[in-house]
Amino acid sequence: MVSPLHILAVGLGAAFFLGLLNHGARVLAYVVTVVALLAMTAIGGQWLWAFVVAGAAPVTIMTAGAPPPFAINLRMGLPEAVLVEIVTLVGLLSAVYMREALMRLGHRAMAVFLVVVMALSGLILTRDVFNLFVFFELIAIATGGLVLLSDDPRALGAGFKYLVVSQVVSMLMLIGIVFVYHASGSLNLDDMTGTPVAAAGGAAALAFFLLFVALVIELKPFPANGWALDVYQAAHPGFSAIFSAGSSTAALWALDKVIGIGGTPWLPIAAAVGLVTFVGSNLVALSQTDDRRLLGYSSVAQIGLVLTVIGLRDLLGDRYLMIGGGILIAHAVAKAGLFWISGLVASRELSAWAALRRDPFMIFAFATFVAMLAGLPPFPGFYAKWELVHALVADGRHAVVAAILVGALLEAGYLFRWFGRALKAPLPDETVQPPVGAVAVVALTALGGWAVAYGWGEASRYGNLLTVVPLMFALAFLVLEWLPAWIKNTVAILGLVAGFVVAYPHFDPMQMIFGAIILLGGAVIFIASYTFAHGRRVGFYPSAMLMYAGLAMLIVAKDTFSFFAAWEVLTVGSYFLILRGKESEPHALSYIVFSLGGAFAILAGFALAAQTTATFPVEGLKQVAATHAPWVFLLLAAGFMTKTAALGVHIWLPGAHAEAETDVSPMVSGVLLKAGLFGLFVLVMHLGRQSLFGVDLTHAMLWIGAGSALIGNLMAAFQEDAKRLLAYSSIGQMGYAVFGIALMNNLGWLMAMMFVINHYIYKSSLFLSVGGVAKRTGTREMYRMGGLITLMPLSFVAVLVSIIAMSGVPPLSGFGGRWIFYNAIMDSDARLPMAVIFLSGPIAFLYLFRLIHTIFLGQLKDEHRRVKEAPIWLIIPQMMYVAFLIGFAIFPGLALRRVDDFIGRFMPEHGLNWTGQTITSAYGYWNPVAIMIIVAVIFVVLFLWLVFLNHRAQMVKQFNIVFAAERPYRPETTHFAWNFFAPYKRAVGFLAEPWFERFWQAQMDTLHGTARFARRFYTGNGQVYAVQVIAFVVVVYLAALGGRP
Amino acid sequence: MITVALVTGFALVLAGLYGALTNRNILRMIVSFTVADAGVNLVLVAVGAMPGRTAPILDAAVPVGDAARRIIDPLPQALVLTAIVIGLGVTALMLAYAYRLHATRGSLDISKFTELKW
Amino acid sequence: MVKHLVAFLLLAVLAAVFASLTLGYQPDAALNRTALYYAENTAKDLGAQNIVTAIVVTYRGLDTLGEVTVLFLTSAIVGLILSTHRATGEGRATGIPAAGELLRTGSRLLVPLILLAGVYVFVNGHLTPGGGFQGGAILASAALLMLLADPLHRFGHRLIAVVESLSGVAYVAIGLLGLAWAGGFLDNRFLPLGDFGTLFSAGAIPVIYTLIGLKVGAEFASMLASLSETEKS
Repeated sequence: MVSPLHILAVGLGAAFFLGLLNHGARVLAYVVTVVALLAMTAIGGQWLWAFVVAGAAPVTIMTAGAPPPFAINLRMGLPEAVLVEIVTLVGLLSAVYMREALMRLGHRAMAVFLVVVMALSGLILTRDVFNLFVFFELIAIATGGLVLLSDDPRALGAGFKYLVVSQVVSMLMLIGIVFVYHASGSLNLDDMTGTPVAAAGGAAALAFFLLFVALVIELKPFPANGWALDVYQAAHPGFSAIFSAGSSTAALWALDKVIGIGGTPWLPIAAAVGLVTFVGSNLVALSQTDDRRLLGYSSVAQIGLVLTVIGLRDLLGDRYLMIGGGILIAHAVAKAGLFWISGLVASRELSAWAALRRDPFMIFAFATFVAMLAGLPPFPGFYAKWELVHALVADGRHAVVAAILVGALLEAGYLFRWFGRALKAPLPDETVQPPVGAVAVVALTALGGWAVAYGWGEASRYGNLLTVVPLMFALAFLVLEWLPAWIKNTVAILGLVAGFVVAYPHFDPMQMIFGAIILLGGAVIFIASYTFAHGRRVGFYPSAMLMYAGLAMLIVAKDTFSFFAAWEVLTVGSYFLILRGKESEPHALSYIVFSLGGAFAILAGFALAAQTTATFPVEGLKQVAATHAPWVFLLLAAGFMTKTAALGVHIWLPGAHAEAETDVSPMVSGVLLKAGLFGLFVLVMHLGRQSLFGVDLTHAMLWIGAGSALIGNLMAAFQEDAKRLLAYSSIGQMGYAVFGIALMNNLGWLMAMMFVINHYIYKSSLFLSVGGVAKRTGTREMYRMGGLITLMPLSFVAVLVSIIAMSGVPPLSGFGGRWIFYNAIMDSDARLPMAVIFLSGPIAFLYLFRLIHTIFLGQLKDEHRRVKEAPIWLIIPQMMYVAFLIGFAIFPGLALRRVDDFIGRFMPEHGLNWTGQTITSAYGYWNPVAIMIIVAVIFVVLFLWLVFLNHRAQMVKQFNIVFAAERPYRPETTHFAWNFFAPYKRAVGFLAEPWFERFWQAQMDTLHGTARFARRFYTGNGQVYAVQVIAFVVVVYLAALGGRP
Repeated sequence: MITVALVTGFALVLAGLYGALTNRNILRMIVSFTVADAGVNLVLVAVGAMPGRTAPILDAAVPVGDAARRIIDPLPQALVLTAIVIGLGVTALMLAYAYRLHATRGSLDISKFTELKW
Repeated sequence: MVKHLVAFLLLAVLAAVFASLTLGYQPDAALNRTALYYAENTAKDLGAQNIVTAIVVTYRGLDTLGEVTVLFLTSAIVGLILSTHRATGEGRATGIPAAGELLRTGSRLLVPLILLAGVYVFVNGHLTPGGGFQGGAILASAALLMLLADPLHRFGHRLIAVVESLSGVAYVAIGLLGLAWAGGFLDNRFLPLGDFGTLFSAGAIPVIYTLIGLKVGAEFASMLASLSETEKS
């Protein structure tokens, strides 16, 4: 093993050696620099290997042949090895990335570069507090130099502000150190940690305060951090990567080492500062438009979060290293990667990142980094988030959890907004031809992120998410991206079907229903995707398969951890999928923000249920203590109902579903919404009825379900856009299902299950039909269509059958649903919400009638005379749905009987009685076959009668009319199909007002307003920044020691 | 004596900081920081001092065997050397910055360099 | 005015902190255990007469290496900052009158003496007050004198750079020799300790201090040269 001292010696030796070279020998100087960094990285890597793989014990390295505390010593353990490897690796890659700038400025710049990497490693390794100070100063001075590598003329001012503040910090640190030495007689950290000086009180505590606060300022606490933000913004992105990933990492470890000297009283202060920084920086970042400054805010925020973890280490115990480390590593990889990418983008506004679209791999890298920062699976931040929230909730620190989750949501909000812009903004004209080395660095970092995810998963006690088969299958599509789309489509279909075949013997009846919809149903929708399988369709298959993987993992999840991981996987996959639509950027953003908010509620709910255990089997929800159970119910239900777009949190759905691509709409509507229902089923099955403050929560759910049904249906009736109509209809349909679940009786659940199946079929079918029509006519607005029945007969049949099924009239399966539904309501005593849900039934007729009438009946538009039937690949799945709807109508027992048995295990009373073709309940019976026959007879009789009556009818030419009026200003206003239900709108339109949209918009405006106001704090004046730093010192002093001398 | 040194040192630190926080001219800020640095160094030396003892050099005046009773704490003296050198380095760097700022922007007023903010 | 008041109030709180530090300060009656170790073991273990030097060069040698690096960094960055600008100074005015005879002769006489004093200070660092930094600063003051006497004088940057680099590399190498042949990085005992109190004693300490002296002198000189070359006179 090579001693870690050689990392320092190599770095310094090479830096000194560079001076020997001539000004002209730049290539040689650069080679020396890179080789030295390689050697440093290799030494660090060798230790990392020793600790991780060989399980070596930490070693102490003495210098000067004298024992500590008399001479300086270093320590190399697992955390140090990890951090040193981060620092050296980021340094090495940045040197490659900055080749051009380093070569231009010559050997002196390279020497400074080497010194900063050396000093960061030293800061991590040293166990001596004064030595810590020396390395800090080296870093500060080198930073002052490297800021100037930038082409940005503003860097000069930024560097000076940085130096001003580091002067103040170094004075505080020095005074602190010398008095701490006076109090303890030692400068060695381990020596002092044995007997914390702050325990001595008085002057010793003050001395430690000065040292502590100086170290905290090195971490750029909000809001005393304007000086650092300027550096992030103005420096060369290669250096900003080091400043963000390296400097902050090392400084955090330094604080972690030192805080032990002060003892536990200082931990809450660190945690509070960290928390304020995390939330405050993320808030201010909301209104930021410069990419590098945004990354600066995000860096500061992430470091604040790790500081919080350090401050909680007495609570977290040994796990704090795993948690803090997970956040830190994800931050380091992602932030370095993002800063490096920012150098490949020509201008600084966020939408300029659209230039990355020219290279799909860059988009993959961008997505990887965003997911890492947002703490999504399978990256380390995800495991850390889970552990942290569980530990905090177990200790009853709910306010801290709430603050962390709010901050994380803010961060996810601006990161995904940025990502969405990059994918959807127009391509900028300006282009930079990125150097090959820089691109390679970004690529390596993105792949490194996945490697880290794998390694972290291996080390995690929850098992490695990356080895879960569905996820591996989905990620395999990333590797297969070069294949033509039709091959990938076939692989996807085969994969889903195979997944079902392999898994179904292990399914219980409920899983069977959901599994069939997800895997087989998903495969059917993929048939429609052949329509769009031109070229490679880059990005579609990984996203779609990620969603399906998440769904598949969800229904088989055994414990809460895998349940939650699956939830996040399906959320992020569906986000990428929705984002593909042409106009879908704002809707995809609102989808991901609501979904992540919901996911955080679920996380908090699981944590509250788990208490001191980290993860538990989902069935364990049964055993949740009565004191927590209502809150668990509330949080989980809120999370799941966000996914089902229940009233209040429904505003993301219409845009997201309507603007999605033709084959994506059925995926996210027909399949994805079922995830929320599955969650609700799991919830009520295990947790049962809960009441909070005297309110029965299932009763509240009833109301929400009924309200969603009413408002959703009403809104659907007032839409002009056919896909939006279907989207709003989904809100209503999900309302019915939520209502059924909340009835808490056997038939209610059965009816909800019926909705799960039916909604998948008819909504998928309708989205495909309408999508086909929209594809052929080039519009989604219904009043622009009409009379398409003869031109698109198959689409018409599919729509007709679907809306019959959906409206619940005999003979199709919707009627069965209704029948069970009414029986279920009879079983329950919730009369008032029942009235609401009855009311929404006729409204569904309104929009369904409008759908079929304005599209297929009435007059054919002139421009649509040559319209052809929808593409065959869209028709095939629709015909399958039609066949299934009829089949399911005749033999509902095929699916429902087993589910009924299964539900009977939870709700023994008032089930259904299945004998032969007849299904009997307490209130009557239903024989689907008989109904089918009766309806068929009636239909045939009436049809024949009509044919008889109309056999002499005369056909009139469609355009045999005279126009006499003037040309209207808005032509659509004269069309009968426009504003179709205007009278109803006048009557009940107030119900359809966008109250909730306004509510959420007001929330967003408040947040953005606060952000815009708060960031004025950063005046840009270096002196003001110094005043703010001292004010920060004073505030921390008063807060920490205010009451004491 | 030690108290006097401490008080003087702290006074210099405060005076220097006050100057650095209230003078907008960069050169004056740098000078103020050197004053504050001197104060810090004085504090460092004062903390190592012990009444009635002598410098930690083991020459004829302080025999080796007697050292523990005769000399003052040598460590702060070693630290102050490092601190002085570092302070000097930072000051030189700031001066170079000041030069460049003046050359490129024609001003030494720190409130003029606010193009990066928010 | 508000700025002054805010600064004053904040510093008043800071003054309160410093006041309690001062009031709570009790000078040690006896050496603490770290200092005691140095007092008792320096002569025996390292053979250095000046304990501060032993601490600076050996016990806390890593700090000192960092310290040298600070100067190295500063001179490199100052060079970097000013060199990108120096190009514009090509057409500098040469209107300064040449230095007078007295000044030139006087400085020629003084420079070798100053250099000698500097060398004396750093080679005796382990015996008497002084050492590499002090000696190096004295060396550099010779350069300063030359610049003051003749502002248009140009130093050979190359020579300065070579001295600086070689002494730096040698310093690191000696540190590694300590790691290889003695107790650890920068251990001075891979050379014989010699007779206590003589010039050739204390192992590698005088060697290291010599290198530091040269390096510091070169770094200061290079900084002075860089700064003087920006002089538009």
